Amino acid sequence: MRLRFSRKLLGVPYAVFLIFFVIIPMLVILFYAFTDKEMHLSFGNFIQFFSDHTKLSTIVYSLVIALITTAVCLAIAYPVAYILARSKMKKKFVLLLLFVTPMWINFVLRINAIRELLSWVGLLGEANYFNTIFGMVYDFLPFMILPLYTTMLKIDESLYEASADLGAGWLTTFSRVTLPLSMPGIASGITMVFLPSMTNYVVSDMLGNSKVTIIGKFIYEYFGTNWHMGSMVALILLIVVFLSTWLTGGFKEDETVRGANL
Amino acid sequence: MKAGSKKRIASLFLASVALLPTLLFTAGCSGEKVTVLRVFNWEEYIDEGGEGSYQYDYEVNEDGSAPPIIEDFEVWYEETYHTPIRVEYSTFGTNEDMYNQLQLGDTYDLLCPSEYMIMKLAAEGYLQPYGKEFFDPSVEENYYIRNVSPYIKNMFESNRINKADASNNATWADYAAGYMWGVTGFTYNPEYVDEAELKELGWDIMTDAAYRNKVTTKDNVRDSYFVALAILYRDEIEALDPAAPDYGTKLAEIMNRTDEETIQKVEAVMHEMDENIYGYETDTGKADIVSGRIWLNFAWSGDAVYAMDLAEAGEDEDGNETASTLLNFFIPEECANLWFDGWVMPKGANRQAAQAFVNFISRPDNAVRNMYYIGYSGVIAGEEVLSYVKDCYEVDPEEYENAEDVTSYDLSYFFGDTVEADSAVFYADVEQAEKRQLHAHYPTLEVTARCAVMDYYGEEANEAINELWSRIKSETLDTWAIVVICVGLVLAVTVVLLIIYGGKIDFFRLPPKKGYRRIRSESCKP
Repeated sequence: MRLRFSRKLLGVPYAVFLIFFVIIPMLVILFYAFTDKEMHLSFGNFIQFFSDHTKLSTIVYSLVIALITTAVCLAIAYPVAYILARSKMKKKFVLLLLFVTPMWINFVLRINAIRELLSWVGLLGEANYFNTIFGMVYDFLPFMILPLYTTMLKIDESLYEASADLGAGWLTTFSRVTLPLSMPGIASGITMVFLPSMTNYVVSDMLGNSKVTIIGKFIYEYFGTNWHMGSMVALILLIVVFLSTWLTGGFKEDETVRGANL
Repeated sequence: MKAGSKKRIASLFLASVALLPTLLFTAGCSGEKVTVLRVFNWEEYIDEGGEGSYQYDYEVNEDGSAPPIIEDFEVWYEETYHTPIRVEYSTFGTNEDMYNQLQLGDTYDLLCPSEYMIMKLAAEGYLQPYGKEFFDPSVEENYYIRNVSPYIKNMFESNRINKADASNNATWADYAAGYMWGVTGFTYNPEYVDEAELKELGWDIMTDAAYRNKVTTKDNVRDSYFVALAILYRDEIEALDPAAPDYGTKLAEIMNRTDEETIQKVEAVMHEMDENIYGYETDTGKADIVSGRIWLNFAWSGDAVYAMDLAEAGEDEDGNETASTLLNFFIPEECANLWFDGWVMPKGANRQAAQAFVNFISRPDNAVRNMYYIGYSGVIAGEEVLSYVKDCYEVDPEEYENAEDVTSYDLSYFFGDTVEADSAVFYADVEQAEKRQLHAHYPTLEVTARCAVMDYYGEEANEAINELWSRIKSETLDTWAIVVICVGLVLAVTVVLLIIYGGKIDFFRLPPKKGYRRIRSESCKP
């Protein structure tokens, strides 16, 4: 039989990658989560997770930390993106670069710098939760600005003109034109900030002196001692992540801006 | 690009992918049969050659080369046993990581876990014992048994490997050969910490309000548990008589308690520690103590020596200049932890080659190389190691004006008969002997006698302690708080949803009546 090449074959490497690095690992996690030490099917981990105060508290704490981080990021990034997108400046990409270049510097280096800064101000070791959130906001801000900027850039100028022609004030224009049209950007910005800030324990370890425990650290520690519980926590996190992505409309297909420029 | 050429490129690509394994296979098969020794060790825990290695700094080799010790082993092995060997060297970050790798089915010939992990591995039947030939001192190449410190040897021979199984009389020595050892204590900055007060407080400094936010502990449960035990049972420990013959056994019993009541009490102590300390760390403590951000850092002796050297040289970890400060090391008088890392062979390992490797790195000159490179204290004694220690710390008493500044330092308990009689007693600076590098590097018998080894607690106790640890490390909320926050989150999500899909449901205004079109009233104003 003659092997015929079709374009579909080019998808094979991707499919192989998907199977080996996404689907199989997920199944392994699922398997570990619902087995006990003797590798018997068990719901013990599941029950233990939801009956244990510490674990529930940790997941609630990480949710709150992630939520605050996301809210602060959004509050800072939205006006910045708006001004950048609407300004008539010729070289506004320079401004954008100023916000984005930190992303190109090594993450650990940046966190170390923040650590020194906080220590200099005298906050290190004093306000662990504040420091953690501060570090996360600093770290994830570009991930919020970029999608917002790209969606806002796409809003047709004539829409603003039309809005003005029809006598809308700035507030009406904002609530009826800018906000609805930038929704996809907000949604992808939220997913991009919310998810890593639930798990990025390097920030909480470095800036919170390991006194702040978020769910990512929890998973890490369990994988040192008890893989089954670790997998269960990872699985629950996966569900939380899935739900929040779904809620913010991350699975909508008409969305083209998601991850733009990243 | 035309469709035809696209296809050609694709087929070329696929063809090369298909050929690749064949190429690799033939490359791997060429050459004669080579023994492979798979060594699994801690990160940065062996002489890796180049800058910072002993051979580099002292230009030992005539051509100035400083190869990694593993390369030297490969050469030595082939010269000695006339078979080529290749070492596959890989590293791990924690004992638990190593254990997981083993469980996943990775095979190795030689591992270097800490004492409690050795006990755990032995209890679970992972290990094979060393052969009798390894302990024959008449063989020239048996460098380990010929040079190991009598103190370490005795320690390895007197600790049973499986304490849970009374019928098993095997000791550490049967399954493990020592590599590095040390004690735990505090690196501290004498500028801020009063020595007399520190002596009085001991481990209690962890919970002392005067040192709030100025002391760190390790970010792992075993080390912190040990500290909490020492605080908890301080009175009992101090009531023991150090001169009594069963002092060591009694101390070890206290420092290895894992009964329910103890765990409960320890939890309270650890909460107190959690409130008081600056933070948990595994690596940042060295930089923080050097920079003066913290006053005391719970440290393993090797790390302490490293931090003291850095601070004294006036450098931070990246080699930038800072002000030179003198840091001290303090080993609490009531009790400290004595730890060992040792080489063990999993079942199925190549015993001959693994033993040869242990022997090679136990040759005193190689032991010095490793110690110099990683900064910890090796278990190997012998003339070369002693002269290295003396090079570092011995002083000439005649150079001192004040006789009180010099003291005689006795390490004969460690070097024993591996060196000439009395040569292990030398003059040292009193500061060095009492609170600086020498004190951390090679503590005297007086100090080590007050130290206890932490055993493997057993599966059940281990789990209880891990759970305790996660309770300490996480903020625990009351049920009502969890409920309130969860309800809040659900509300927040609903609001977000409403905002997102709000564009479709215009909830600010009623829909227009049938037959009418919606029109914006305000925009119709003249």
